[in-house]
Amino acid sequence: MVSTNDYHSDYPNHWCPGCGNFGILDAMKSALAALDLPPEKILIVSGIGQAAKTPHFLQCNCFHSLHGRALPIATGAKIANHHMTVLVSTGDGDCYGEGGNHFMHAIRRNIDVTVLAHNNSVYGLTKGQASPTSMEGMQTKMQPGGVIAGAFNPLAVALSLGAGFVARGFSGEGDQLSNLIQAGIRHRGFALIDILQPCVSFNRVNTHKWYKDRIAPIEENHDETDLIAALRLALGTDDRIPTGIYHRRESPSYTDRIDKLNDKPLTDHQYRPELLKALLTDGYP
Amino acid sequence: MTVDISVLIGGEAGQGIQTVGLLMARTCHRAGLYVMAVNDFESRIRGGHSFIQLRISDRPVHGPTRKLHMMVALDERTYGLHQPELTEGGLALIPKDNADTMAQHHRCKMVDFEGVAKKAGSSILANTVAAGACLSLLGAPFDLFENVLKLTFNQVEEKRLAQNVQAAQYGYAAAEDEPFKWSWRWAMTSPKGRLIDGAHAVAFGALAGDCRFSAFYPMSPATGIIQRLVDMAPTVPLVIEQAEDEIAAVNMVIGAAFAGVRAMTATSGGGFSLMTEGLGLAAITETPIVIVNAQRPGPATGLPTRTAQADLQFVIHASQDEFPRFVFAPGTPFEAFSVTARAFELSERFQVPAIILVDQYLNDSLFVAEEPFEAPEAVTPFTVTDDDLDDVKHYRRYELKDSGISPRALPCNGRALVKVCSDEHDEEGHITEDAEIRDAMVEKRQAKYVAMRRQMRPPEVIHAGSDILLVSWGSMRGAMEEAVNQLRADGINCGGVHVVDVWPFPDAAVGEILGKARQFFVVEQNRSAQLGQLIRQQTGCQYTDAVLKYNGRPMCAGEITTAIKTKLR
Repeated sequence: MVSTNDYHSDYPNHWCPGCGNFGILDAMKSALAALDLPPEKILIVSGIGQAAKTPHFLQCNCFHSLHGRALPIATGAKIANHHMTVLVSTGDGDCYGEGGNHFMHAIRRNIDVTVLAHNNSVYGLTKGQASPTSMEGMQTKMQPGGVIAGAFNPLAVALSLGAGFVARGFSGEGDQLSNLIQAGIRHRGFALIDILQPCVSFNRVNTHKWYKDRIAPIEENHDETDLIAALRLALGTDDRIPTGIYHRRESPSYTDRIDKLNDKPLTDHQYRPELLKALLTDGYP
Repeated sequence: MTVDISVLIGGEAGQGIQTVGLLMARTCHRAGLYVMAVNDFESRIRGGHSFIQLRISDRPVHGPTRKLHMMVALDERTYGLHQPELTEGGLALIPKDNADTMAQHHRCKMVDFEGVAKKAGSSILANTVAAGACLSLLGAPFDLFENVLKLTFNQVEEKRLAQNVQAAQYGYAAAEDEPFKWSWRWAMTSPKGRLIDGAHAVAFGALAGDCRFSAFYPMSPATGIIQRLVDMAPTVPLVIEQAEDEIAAVNMVIGAAFAGVRAMTATSGGGFSLMTEGLGLAAITETPIVIVNAQRPGPATGLPTRTAQADLQFVIHASQDEFPRFVFAPGTPFEAFSVTARAFELSERFQVPAIILVDQYLNDSLFVAEEPFEAPEAVTPFTVTDDDLDDVKHYRRYELKDSGISPRALPCNGRALVKVCSDEHDEEGHITEDAEIRDAMVEKRQAKYVAMRRQMRPPEVIHAGSDILLVSWGSMRGAMEEAVNQLRADGINCGGVHVVDVWPFPDAAVGEILGKARQFFVVEQNRSAQLGQLIRQQTGCQYTDAVLKYNGRPMCAGEITTAIKTKLR
C-alpha cells in the first residue's frame, strides 16, 4: 500500500505561509495514496506559476513546462504512453489566460488527464496583477481603477465544450478535495477540478473567510449526468459557490479512439523495418 | 540525341494544372526519361494563374529553366504571361484564336480544350486533353500515357478512368497534324529511380527515423509533409494530431518525446516563430524533437505559396539565450530523406532539438531520385532503464557529465523518477537559482557542441580546386551545380560547394575548401546572403559576391551563370 509519506519530497517549499496551495498539495497526496498510485506511476505536468511548482514538492515524475503550455505537453505525453496517470497542476492565469486556447481544445479532445486548476483569482508569482478569474472591479496595483473585463467562468466554459468531468473544490476543504481528485483521476477522459484558494499575499478580496462564507456542497439530489443542471450551477444565480462534482459522464477518451493504441502504448511498439520497406517500395510506379 | 525540353502548362487554379503536371511527369519517368516538375501557384483555390513547368531530358536534371519549348495555355492569360519565355521555333497551344499571336517568333495552335473535354464527358477533363495534346507533340506513345492514367486513377470508379482515357485520345488527335521541332523517338527504357517531391521524401525520412508522433497546424508549404505522413500512417505505429496552433503542436511533440517516442512537427516560418518558445523548452529540458521549417517568403504572411531561403539565420538563433541545436538544409529529395532520418537519431543521441530547413520549391517540385531510399535495419534508442542505473532511487535527469549528455530515463518506465523543468534546474531537475549550478548547467548544455560538431558532414564539392567556387545550401543545389557545369563549358574554371549540415557549422572543412579558392560566390534565395554571412562569421572567409533572388520564384542555372559572368567581367 502506498502512503502519503511516499510522496514526501526533501526539496524546500517556495510558497508563502498560509498559502492555499498547501491544502491542495496535502489533498493530492491523500488522493494518490488512496488510489494506491505510487510516485513512479504518475506524471505531473505543470505550466508556470505558484501552482506549477507543485510537482517539485512531492515525489513524482514531472514536467514543469512553460506558462500556459502544460496541456499540450500533457496531451503529447499521454498519447505517447497512455498507461501513465497524468495530472496537470496549473493556475488560473496559466490555464485560463496564457493557455486558454489549449484548455478549449484539450477538452474537445477528451484527453485523459486530470487538471487541478489552482484558482486564486490573482497572479501570485508576478506579484498581484489581475487574473482571468478576478472579479470585475477588483483593484490591483496594475488595475488601480478596478478590473474592467468580466471574470472567466471555467466551469461553464468546460461544460459547454463537452467536458466529461467538471468539479469545483476548495483548498480549505481537504477531505472533499481529496475525494474530487480521486474521482477525477478515476474518470476516463478529461477532468477539470477548479480549486478555489485564497492568496494570502495578493488577493485581499477573496480571502479564506470570504470563501468560507460562500461555499456550500452541491445538494445530494443534483444529477451529475444532467448537463443543463450542471450549467445552471456553474452560471450561478446567487452568492453561493457550489463545491463538488458538477457534471460527470464518460465517453471514449482521445487515446481510446485510436485503434493502434488499443493493445499497447506507442512507447511499447517496436521499430519494424519491414513495414517501412513496404512503404518505401510501394509508391508510384 | 540529347533531349532537354521544357514545357509549361498553365491555367486558373481549379483547372487541375498540378494533376496534368503529375500525369506528364509520370509518363516521362515511365519511359526512362529524367524529368522534373516545378509547381507555381497562387494562394487561392479558384481563379488566378497557376502553372507547372516540366523539364524533360535524357540526362539527369535537378533544376528548372526559363526557356520554354512548348506552352499549353488552358486560358488566354497564360499565353499572355508566358509567351516571352517561348524560344525561337517554340509552340504554344492556345484555347482561342488570337490575332496577337500572328507576328510572333513562335507558332500557335488553337485547341479548344474545354470543347474537346465536353465531348469526352465533362469540361473538367480539359487538363487531360491538354496533357494528351502535349505528349502527342512530344512523340510519346499513347499506350504509355494510357497506362499512367490507369495507374493514377485506379482508386476511382471506372467511368472516370474511361472518360480520362477518352479525353487523352481526343487530345492526341487534336495535335496530330502539328509538327513540333523538338519531338523525339521515345526509346522505352526502365524508369530511373523514383519520381518524388521533397515533402514526400521528408515524410519517408521521418519514418526511417522511427517517428511515432507528429503534431501540426496547417501551413503552406509544410502541409504536404504531414499529408504524406497521414497517408502512410495506417500501417505504422504513428499517431498524428492537428493541434489548435503551432504553439500546441510543438509542445505536444515535446510532451511525446519526453514520454519516450520520437516526434516531429512541420511548419513554415510564421509557425516556426510561434514555436520558438517551445524550441527553448526542448533545449533547457534537453528533450529531443525534430522541427521542419518549410520556408516561404515573409515576413508575416509574405508569399504563402512561394519559395525562399531566408530563415537560415533565424533558425540558428531562434529563441532566447544560447543552446545547442542541429540545423540541416537538404538540397534534393534523397538528401531530405536521409537528413531527416539522421536528424531524429542525432536529436535523440544528443538530447537537443534538430531543425530541418526545406522550402516550397523543394517540397512541391517533382524530381527523379536515383539513390536508394533504404529503411535502417534497427533504430537505436538512447535512453536508460532502471537496469542501467547504479542508484535508481537517486536518479538525476541532469547528472553532470563531461560530454554534457546525462543518462535519459523515461517517466513511468521503472522506479527512477524523471523530473524536468523549464526553469534553470539542478541535477535532479529542481528549480535552482544557485549561481554555480547555473554555470554548470550552461556549460553542460554547451559542452555537447564538441561531439555534435564531429557529427557534421563536410559540404559536397564538385570540381574541387577550381579558381572560382559557387556555394549553395538547401534547395539551390541543383541550379548551382548546373550553373557550374555551364560556366565550365564556357571556359570558366569553376567548381561548386553545397552545404547541407549547417549547424553546428562545419568550420574547418568549409574554411579549408574556400580558403583555397581565388574567389567564391554564394548563391541563395534571400536578400542578405545569409550563408555568406555565416561563412564569414565561422571561417573568416569573405565571399566575393552573392547571387541572390528573393521574389519567391526558384532560381535557375541560367540566372546564376548570367549573374556570375557579369560579376566576373
